[in-house]
Amino acid sequence: MKHDKIEKNLGLLMLFTMVVISIGGLVEIVPLFHINDTIEKVDGVRPYTPLELRGRDIYQREGCYLCHSQMIRPFRDEALRYGHYSLAAESKYDHPFQWGSKRTGPDLARVGGKYSNEWQVQHLKAPRSVVPESIMPNYPWLLENDLDFSDMADRMRALKKVGVPYSESKAEYEANVKEFGQDVAEMLDIQKAQENLIKQAQTGNYDGDATRITEMEAMVAYLQMLGTLVDFSQYDEGHFVQFR
Amino acid sequence: MLLKLSAAYGKGNDLIGEIFNWLGDMRNSKILALLIFFVGFVILLVFVFTGKERSKRLESYKHMPFLDDDDEQKSSTTVKKDE
Amino acid sequence: MAHSMAAKAEYNYDIIKRFAAMAMVWGVLGMFVGFYAASELAFPFLNFDSQYITFGRLRPVHTTLVIFGFGGSALFATSYYIVQRTCQARLHGDGMANFTFWGWQVSVALGVMSYMLGYTQAREYAEFEWPIDLLITVTWVIYLYVFVMTIRKRSQPHIYVANWFFIAFILATALLHVFNNLAMPVSLMGMKSYSLFSGVQDAMTQWWYGHNAVGFFLTAAFLGMMYYFVPKQAGRPIYSYRLSVIHFWALVFLYMWVGGHHLHWTALPDWTSTLAATFSIILLMPSWGGMINGIMTMSGAWDKLRTDPIMRFLIVSLSFYGMSTFEGPMMALKSVNALSHYTDWTIGHVHSGALGWVAMVSFGSFYHMVPKLYNTKMYSEKLIFTHFWLATIGIVLYITAMWTSGIGQGLILRAFDSYGNLAYTFVESVSYLHGPYVTRAIGGFLFVTGAAIMAYNLYMTAKQGKREAAEAAAAAA
Repeated sequence: MKHDKIEKNLGLLMLFTMVVISIGGLVEIVPLFHINDTIEKVDGVRPYTPLELRGRDIYQREGCYLCHSQMIRPFRDEALRYGHYSLAAESKYDHPFQWGSKRTGPDLARVGGKYSNEWQVQHLKAPRSVVPESIMPNYPWLLENDLDFSDMADRMRALKKVGVPYSESKAEYEANVKEFGQDVAEMLDIQKAQENLIKQAQTGNYDGDATRITEMEAMVAYLQMLGTLVDFSQYDEGHFVQFR
Repeated sequence: MLLKLSAAYGKGNDLIGEIFNWLGDMRNSKILALLIFFVGFVILLVFVFTGKERSKRLESYKHMPFLDDDDEQKSSTTVKKDE
Repeated sequence: MAHSMAAKAEYNYDIIKRFAAMAMVWGVLGMFVGFYAASELAFPFLNFDSQYITFGRLRPVHTTLVIFGFGGSALFATSYYIVQRTCQARLHGDGMANFTFWGWQVSVALGVMSYMLGYTQAREYAEFEWPIDLLITVTWVIYLYVFVMTIRKRSQPHIYVANWFFIAFILATALLHVFNNLAMPVSLMGMKSYSLFSGVQDAMTQWWYGHNAVGFFLTAAFLGMMYYFVPKQAGRPIYSYRLSVIHFWALVFLYMWVGGHHLHWTALPDWTSTLAATFSIILLMPSWGGMINGIMTMSGAWDKLRTDPIMRFLIVSLSFYGMSTFEGPMMALKSVNALSHYTDWTIGHVHSGALGWVAMVSFGSFYHMVPKLYNTKMYSEKLIFTHFWLATIGIVLYITAMWTSGIGQGLILRAFDSYGNLAYTFVESVSYLHGPYVTRAIGGFLFVTGAAIMAYNLYMTAKQGKREAAEAAAAAA
């Protein structure tokens, strides 16, 4: 192939450019969809419940990922500060991923259960009332706005289409029972989406207001489950190293 | 898809199947792709920097931005001096 | 050459003028939003408890306005200018060119409004929700068509290298945009969607996009700009055309491999990020080849730097290009990245590229191009000098502040006391950031002030050009 042909033939120039720019992406991304050990097999990882999912939607809406990561790296300081490093499996139901790229605030991958619901609500409403040096904005409207969950089933259906095992048919439900157990499978049932959301909000009462279901309810429910699904005590130390 | 394709060929146990099998493994094709592109790059280097005529021709293209210049002053100052 | 006034009158300059004007509008607005968001980090009361202007919602507004609003419009303007003047042919299809203008401006405007209302895909630099993504896709395909059809009308058999860079930019952006935005809408009547991929695959796709948005949108395309405007402003051809050929192929090939360096030490498989780190280092070579090619174009005419403020913009932009393409590979090393990742060092790095390279080369190109569009001279040279110093000091303040906060935070967070416990709490690192954040906001303010002065200067230049044309017409009559 003579290079002057390429210089003068627009079609060839475009074709060659396309081949050259495609190759890097193909080599890096395509294998991730095939190699089995990209995502380790871990017990406990499950899709989000309807309330948690709405919380996650709000987390994205407010752009939390721009200051908080959800990806703990395998370093000693991060282990002490945040806990066990993040596993690929822990974000396998995350559409989109929320690993983040910046820690203006701390990592949130394992924030679940570290603080009480009351603390979370107060901190989201007025961060400097609990952490004076914080530079996080106040989010008072999370408590003021009622949570809109009228399209809960549609949201779950969209996620089902991209591969999250929410169930619609009896067979899918049975499969979920086998995979995640009865209690979780119940929560993944699209037919009962709204019912389940209300039930979880009432039992959990995350926002401290039993009379309403606010956006705060969903947000705190989401934060409180982050990083809590995998029970690391049941694995040997170093078990996960083989997947890195 | 490539992997599935190669797996299907692989069952045939013939030479083409072997080759596809080998190519289908990313560890091999990655290196092969790199080699091909490295060789391509070296050929490009040699092509571009050898040959007197070719060099002259290639360097002549650098005047292209100036082809439609004849009604502008040759000087580059497009700036009016503040009086 | 038989291309005098008659041929030039046939160029479509109107579309370029409009894109250039919108580039300045979005640029000043976007840089101001950046300054405001930076101030929010220094003084959080500035969020005013309003959900529309919290940092989390303003940050995508800032990035979209400056990258796609300012950068995108500047690229449309200069690529339409360069392709016409190097092919000596009128831009193909006035109607289609106009469509690219409206399609692009409406996308940017809808995008930033939707973020403030809380509609976002939550993917950095790809926050547009799916209906806007579709509009962008259509606009982009038409852009490609207009560009290609114009090149087909060229008067010379050879295609000038600047146009190669634009072609690669248009093709790569199309590829990246389509694959990174694959998503499932919740309903056809709503904005909300969920991405097709999840977890590791989604992360890799996003940063393959994210880094190549830098590589092709913010680098390759602006190199196209450089390969035309630096020679034109210097009044001498590019240092080595053969080097530019090598530069092109090496850059286009290498960039696509390096996205994984945004995901070092994460749950991404090790080989992917190691591969990305390796390629990042190799990428230094074509980057510096291009920089040398640009700077050496000036050799023998260095004295121009003293008198010509436009040349200063262009040379400083190339210097920043060289600096950030050195800093980038260094930060892609896994050991450096362990410290720099998640900190402001990354933000500083992006801005040394975005302000130092992208914005400065655009400013220089506009100062060269706009007077030519209006067939006049720049309204004020003094104001160009003022702009140059405001911009340069602004960038230096910005970058040094971010080095201080980034490296400082990285060190604070990994510090241990003599008992092996963490020496600092997280929030102590946040307190430490205050000083650098104030400095950064000041740097940003200087930069946006310079851009506003430029907008005024260009506006007055356009006005002056129109007046002169009217006077000439009256005299001729």
